[in-house]
Amino acid sequence: MALLPTNAQWRGLVLLAIIIVVLGALPWTVNNYWLRIATGALMWAGLACSWNMLGGYAGYINFGQSAFFGLGAYVTAFLMGDPFGLPFSATIPAGMVVTALCAVIIGAPTLRLRGAYFAIATWAFAEVLIQFASAMDFTGGIGGIGLPPYLNERFFYFAMVGTAVLTYFLTWALFERSRFGLKVKALRDHEPAAEAMGINTALVKLQTFVLSAVTASVFGAIFAYWVTFINPKSVFGGDITDQMVVMVLLGGLGTLWGPAIGGVALFVVNRLIWMYWGDTAFYIAILGTAIVLVVLFLPNGIAGLFARRKNDALDKVLDKLIGSGEGGHP
Amino acid sequence: MDLFLQTLLNGLLIGGVIATFTIAFQLAFGVLHVIDFAVGGWVVLGGYLGYYITAWLGLDGFLAIPLAFVLFGALGYLIGPVLYNVRNSRTARPELMALALSFGLFTLLRGGMLTAWGFNTRNVTTALSGESLAIGPVTVPLIRVVAAVFAAAIAGGLFLFLYRTRYGLAIRATAENRHNAALMGVNIGRLSANVYGLYAGITAMAGVLMGAIYSVNPEVGLRYTLFAFFVAVLAGLGSVEGALVAALLLGVIEAFVSTYVGASYSLLAIFTTLFLVLLISPRGILRRGL
Repeated sequence: MALLPTNAQWRGLVLLAIIIVVLGALPWTVNNYWLRIATGALMWAGLACSWNMLGGYAGYINFGQSAFFGLGAYVTAFLMGDPFGLPFSATIPAGMVVTALCAVIIGAPTLRLRGAYFAIATWAFAEVLIQFASAMDFTGGIGGIGLPPYLNERFFYFAMVGTAVLTYFLTWALFERSRFGLKVKALRDHEPAAEAMGINTALVKLQTFVLSAVTASVFGAIFAYWVTFINPKSVFGGDITDQMVVMVLLGGLGTLWGPAIGGVALFVVNRLIWMYWGDTAFYIAILGTAIVLVVLFLPNGIAGLFARRKNDALDKVLDKLIGSGEGGHP
Repeated sequence: MDLFLQTLLNGLLIGGVIATFTIAFQLAFGVLHVIDFAVGGWVVLGGYLGYYITAWLGLDGFLAIPLAFVLFGALGYLIGPVLYNVRNSRTARPELMALALSFGLFTLLRGGMLTAWGFNTRNVTTALSGESLAIGPVTVPLIRVVAAVFAAAIAGGLFLFLYRTRYGLAIRATAENRHNAALMGVNIGRLSANVYGLYAGITAMAGVLMGAIYSVNPEVGLRYTLFAFFVAVLAGLGSVEGALVAALLLGVIEAFVSTYVGASYSLLAIFTTLFLVLLISPRGILRRGL
């Protein structure tokens, strides 16, 4: 590895520096309204990335990702509530553990299913949870639960930044730069062949599924504390999964930066529509149109447009930073 | 005992109506190999057509049935080839892309309907609305009986068409093995468009009936998509015969849970059953799925 960075690496360094400066300076330069929007954009970029781990890299379309987002939110709300009163920092790991357990129990049997069957099964699971949360008493039923309010926008902003950055870093390190990522892509492209090569596909799928679920649950936990009130529709609702799917499709399935591009773009569109029309129904129609157009005319997403140059520059800098380049890196 | 009989009958009658569109759904899957998320959207659109026929033109809601078939059949005929092309395209994962497309279509229908008509619930009124029929100890709304009879006629006609005509043979051959069917001279592309049109038309007709029995709003589409998936999973994807049995079973399960446990638990029961069936027997309880 050369001592001085190459041109591509310079470009990447500059890009990385800009991202860091912008993300770090934001809380001190914009008002709370825009800070909330930035926090939301980071959450969706992170959630889209969590969905992309299984949907994009492993090729298993999960229509029930909101189940794990909601689990994280509900565990946090439940544990911070009356009988327990735990601090927020303690509820996140608790939510992660519960979600991981749940993901193993759900994932082990459902990941045997392929294609549409898997999509239906995960969707059914998320709907079971939403109906369960609506029917039970300890979840507050349809009414939902409130959390102790904590009015500090900067705190939530940095919580989202931290989680989102960690999510992207994990995705990059695990799926783009390790043997594990190669295994995942191999099983996506041809599962029987991957199996024949000695890859334990069942294990790899389950690991990816659990990772994706746990990531979503952390965002759910932060979201619950941030909005201070949750109900079954607001955290388990199918719309949440729908948005993640559309964001990833729009940005580019199975790419590192696709979910970030799609997530931020769609979230901003959502806010703009809300600002100018105050109408969420219209946004649903836009989501649908976006999916149809992307599938028909842009099957590789926005990131696919830059496929040739893609994110090499940024990748090379990241490589340099952690000093590795394993797995067919040029 | 009377309550039991009443519930059973209600379940079977509703199951019959569900059967019409789930049979068509299975047929569309068998030929196009696309799980169509949009199915609930077609049901709701049919219901709205029925509503506007009565609200604007002052005609009987049932007159919307043939109109729904023609209108949505034509629309389906136009959309079918698009789905077919995506399903058979050279993109990396055509199956996934087709699934995403139908999902996008459903989201577009749902959002468009919500934007146009809001969250309000509408009823399809017919001459039979409010009338009921006493059969021994049980009474059923006449409209449910008529709807179920009508649904049975549609399903029967579809079976006759599939098993007694040359074109039906071509459809079954394509569902069985598209390559061999193509070699025997079947134009798969055009046949797919026809089948999707047939499916959309039948689904919209069932929607008019559903609108007359219950009511419609844009959000119930999700419920009907779920019903179609439930039946497909229970019967095994693509199994047309299994769909009839599974749809009746679905109607009965829903009716019994609603009556004996509580209406808020019926969806929970349906989803749980669906999930368990998928885990225990992914190819359907009849083991006929593709």
